[in-house]
Amino acid sequence: MTGREAADRRRALVCVAPTVVALGTLTVYPGIWVIWLSLQRRVPIFDVSRFAGLENYAFLMVDPRFWSSVRTTAVFTVGSVALEVVLGVAAALAIHTQQRGRRVSISLLLLAWAMPAVVGAKLFEWLYHPAAGLLNVLLGGHRINWLGDPALALPALILADVWRTMPFVAILCYARLLAIPADVYEAAQVDGAGRLATLTRITLPLLGRILLLAVLFRTLDALRAFDIMFVLTGGGPAGTTETLTVYAYRALFQMLQLGFGSAVSVVVFALVMAVAWAYLRLLRAGTVAA
Amino acid sequence: MNARLRTLADAAVLLALAAYAIPFFWQLLTSFKPESELLRVPPLLPSRLTVSHYQVVIWQSLMPRALGNSLGIASITTILSLAAGVPAAYAVARLPLPGKRLLLLAIVASTAFPQIATVSPLYLLMRGLQLRDTWTGLVLVHASFALPLTIWLLAGFVREIPIEAEEAASVDGAGLVAMFRWVVIPLLAPGLASTALLTFLFSWNEFLFAYTFTVSEASRTIPVALALFPGVFEVPWGDIAAASMLASLPPIVIVIALQRFLVRGLVAGAVKE
Amino acid sequence: MSPAPRRSTLALVTLIGLLTLGGCAAGQESGTVTLVFKYARILGNADPLPGLLRQFEAAHPGVRVQGEALPWTSDDQHQFYVINLEGRSPGFDVMMLDCIWVPEFARAGWLLDLTGQLAPDELAPFFPSAVASATFDGRVWALPWNFNVGLLYYRTDLLAKYGLRPPDTFEELIEQVRRIRAAERDPALDGYVWQGKQYEGLVVNVLEAFWAGGTTLMAEDGTVFPDPTRAADALALLRSLITSGVSPAWTTAADEELSRRAFGDGHAIFLRNWPYAMDLFEGRGSAVRGKVAFTAVLGRAHGARGVGSTGGAHLGVSRRSRHPELALALARHLTSEPAQRAIALGAALSPTRQALYQDPEIVRDHPAMPQLQQLALAGRPRPVVPYYQLLSATVQPEFSAALVGVKRPERAIADASKRLGFFLQAVR
Repeated sequence: MTGREAADRRRALVCVAPTVVALGTLTVYPGIWVIWLSLQRRVPIFDVSRFAGLENYAFLMVDPRFWSSVRTTAVFTVGSVALEVVLGVAAALAIHTQQRGRRVSISLLLLAWAMPAVVGAKLFEWLYHPAAGLLNVLLGGHRINWLGDPALALPALILADVWRTMPFVAILCYARLLAIPADVYEAAQVDGAGRLATLTRITLPLLGRILLLAVLFRTLDALRAFDIMFVLTGGGPAGTTETLTVYAYRALFQMLQLGFGSAVSVVVFALVMAVAWAYLRLLRAGTVAA
Repeated sequence: MNARLRTLADAAVLLALAAYAIPFFWQLLTSFKPESELLRVPPLLPSRLTVSHYQVVIWQSLMPRALGNSLGIASITTILSLAAGVPAAYAVARLPLPGKRLLLLAIVASTAFPQIATVSPLYLLMRGLQLRDTWTGLVLVHASFALPLTIWLLAGFVREIPIEAEEAASVDGAGLVAMFRWVVIPLLAPGLASTALLTFLFSWNEFLFAYTFTVSEASRTIPVALALFPGVFEVPWGDIAAASMLASLPPIVIVIALQRFLVRGLVAGAVKE
Repeated sequence: MSPAPRRSTLALVTLIGLLTLGGCAAGQESGTVTLVFKYARILGNADPLPGLLRQFEAAHPGVRVQGEALPWTSDDQHQFYVINLEGRSPGFDVMMLDCIWVPEFARAGWLLDLTGQLAPDELAPFFPSAVASATFDGRVWALPWNFNVGLLYYRTDLLAKYGLRPPDTFEELIEQVRRIRAAERDPALDGYVWQGKQYEGLVVNVLEAFWAGGTTLMAEDGTVFPDPTRAADALALLRSLITSGVSPAWTTAADEELSRRAFGDGHAIFLRNWPYAMDLFEGRGSAVRGKVAFTAVLGRAHGARGVGSTGGAHLGVSRRSRHPELALALARHLTSEPAQRAIALGAALSPTRQALYQDPEIVRDHPAMPQLQQLALAGRPRPVVPYYQLLSATVQPEFSAALVGVKRPERAIADASKRLGFFLQAVR
């Protein structure tokens, strides 16, 4: 190793030192601690703190509320991501066809994305109001109880989340569309391709890779989502909008079962990591441009 | 396509997107609607506009204090995150770092980290260190959560800096810090701006940790203050709408005025040509 | 030292300074003594609380009382307290506590033991059950502040019109609702409104149905659901109220306020709620002014008589308060006879001092007070155990699932039993 290289190595270590310390203490250490907590029965109020092995996990396996929240999380994730991709691509294509006013369009779109999830939740809570909500008024004045009906609450939640996060997918696709050189389209035109053929044979495949990225980002976000369901419905009615994250939070801070709640958190952790790992695999396989 | 049709098509797209933003505009309208007309719809439009909701929110609620908290916490988080992230990104992108693969793996894995997973140990940690209800505690947690994405984005931007500039500087005998100060950071400026904006937005919007780690009313951030907005007889929809508008003000300003940087930040690391 | 480390040291110091400043920014007062009093906003036509707090400040120069509002619902309040008290920060001095939390907070060591500070018969004027719920392990942990008991409100005008006596049982009520609605032909008139949303209020309603059916949630010896069949039957009865239309569909999203408003706007015949509602019904501009009376909650035809669930709020002193004597003085001031009188007259809260129920000034404004006192004395508390909140949080979703129709009542009770078995195992 040359002196220069050694010096560079030292510099590199100094550069990453703060990051390593920060991540180590506030992300990695708690990440291990939560697994340790999940193996305990820990109820602070009652001074209960004993090692319990896999008791919490054993209970989770037969806990109907846990499986219900798994189902809810799955439906929420798949539903949100699917809708976001479809709407996002449509929006990106629409903006791309604009000759003037693109900046305004993007601003309108980004309004929904920039606001805090809590603001979005309050917004939709008001929209879904049975008596005075805009949605019911537009639908003809029926007092549909969007957030109180067990069949309607989850779709209503998905709608609210899609509204807020679709712009992210749209912007990603739009940026990718911008990068497609014009001569690709010219060549297609010369070959006599109609608009639909251009769309399906050229545009969408070129969007494919970025869409995969968007799907993965959004899937991770949807699996971890907490703010919007906690504030909009609190997991109700009758647990129909209770995702894993809400269940974990309730177990932790409403029932004060730190051990059991940590076990649910670890499940979320594992689920998200599994999806992230799948992404890393694809990344290495070179399917995604990064 | 002739110019007329083109303009019509453009307008159609604008209209469609304006319709998409209707929930936002409805909330804006609600914030100016008189209390008595809130629950009597139709008619959708109010007979007159009022600023009473804003007055309640500004003079009688916790929102101004929460605004201050959020501004402070988000700003310091951004500064800290960049301060630690820029050197780390540079090291990852340019320097021979022992254990780089492991670090990269940890960073990528951390971007996927669910907040719910660490909220219980962090709660115990904050409790032990007496950092609950302080800016410090929340800033540390926010910064550490924003750090992985910051590094990832910045590493991409660093790689775009022409290596010749750095080589020229080191030939001139510049040390590491001087190199940062005079070469890297100026060239990185647009990327820094994008990353800073994203980090600021993340911290501003963050709810889970802020909700769990604040005790008193005085230390609440915007999302928490909004979620816990008090009502007496019934939910004060008008006041909440006004508070929502105020809470969205910085993000909206960023979105409209600094759109270019924001889009660039969102797209970086994902779209490379 | 080369320039680089000095610059970064400066930056570091500035940063630490900023953070410390920020840390200090949140919540420290200097100068006069400030007592923080956390309480839930008081419903009623007037709020006497600010006046009472200023009175206290006037009597104690140099002391400022800062009243801070709690979140709206009982469950959110509890979560707020737990997160903060568990975090060991002395954020408040005097706390308004739902009576069901006192054993839990006492067990957790968050409340100041008041036993030694109280005069021998200082608690004699209060309702015995209120004092009982403020006592845990033989020691007193809070002062009773206001009292609640479940009541059945009814429209006197409608019942008189059809010559009906107020119902004693669910079965009678169902019959009366059918009769009145068939005759009135008013589609906007609901029958019986109560609280079916997934929160503490639901547990109260279900408990009263359990008691009417001759069973309970937790027996004396600590067994949960000692008679699951009767419990499931009670749940099924409540569910049938909704499916048959006696209670409107929105009952499953109704809390105290939603149901009170429906009844107060004249859209319901019967309402199960707490005493505070009466004041609002008798207020100026109320659509049902002069047309409302109350009686005991419903029993079952082949079950037991209706017994209202008792509740209310106590005032506790935080053990970590920096000014315990002043805090206790404030609690005493707010539960004193003049203060309770002012609250009973101004706000819609019922006092815990029995004498006030016969007090001429109060009875003149609220003629139903003596009747209320009788019902309060006959009321029954929810399980007085330190883990009541855990109990409630575990059964709430199950009860809600049964009411909404997502689960059959038997399944809901069985699931609730299993979950309780797992969670209580650790704390008992």
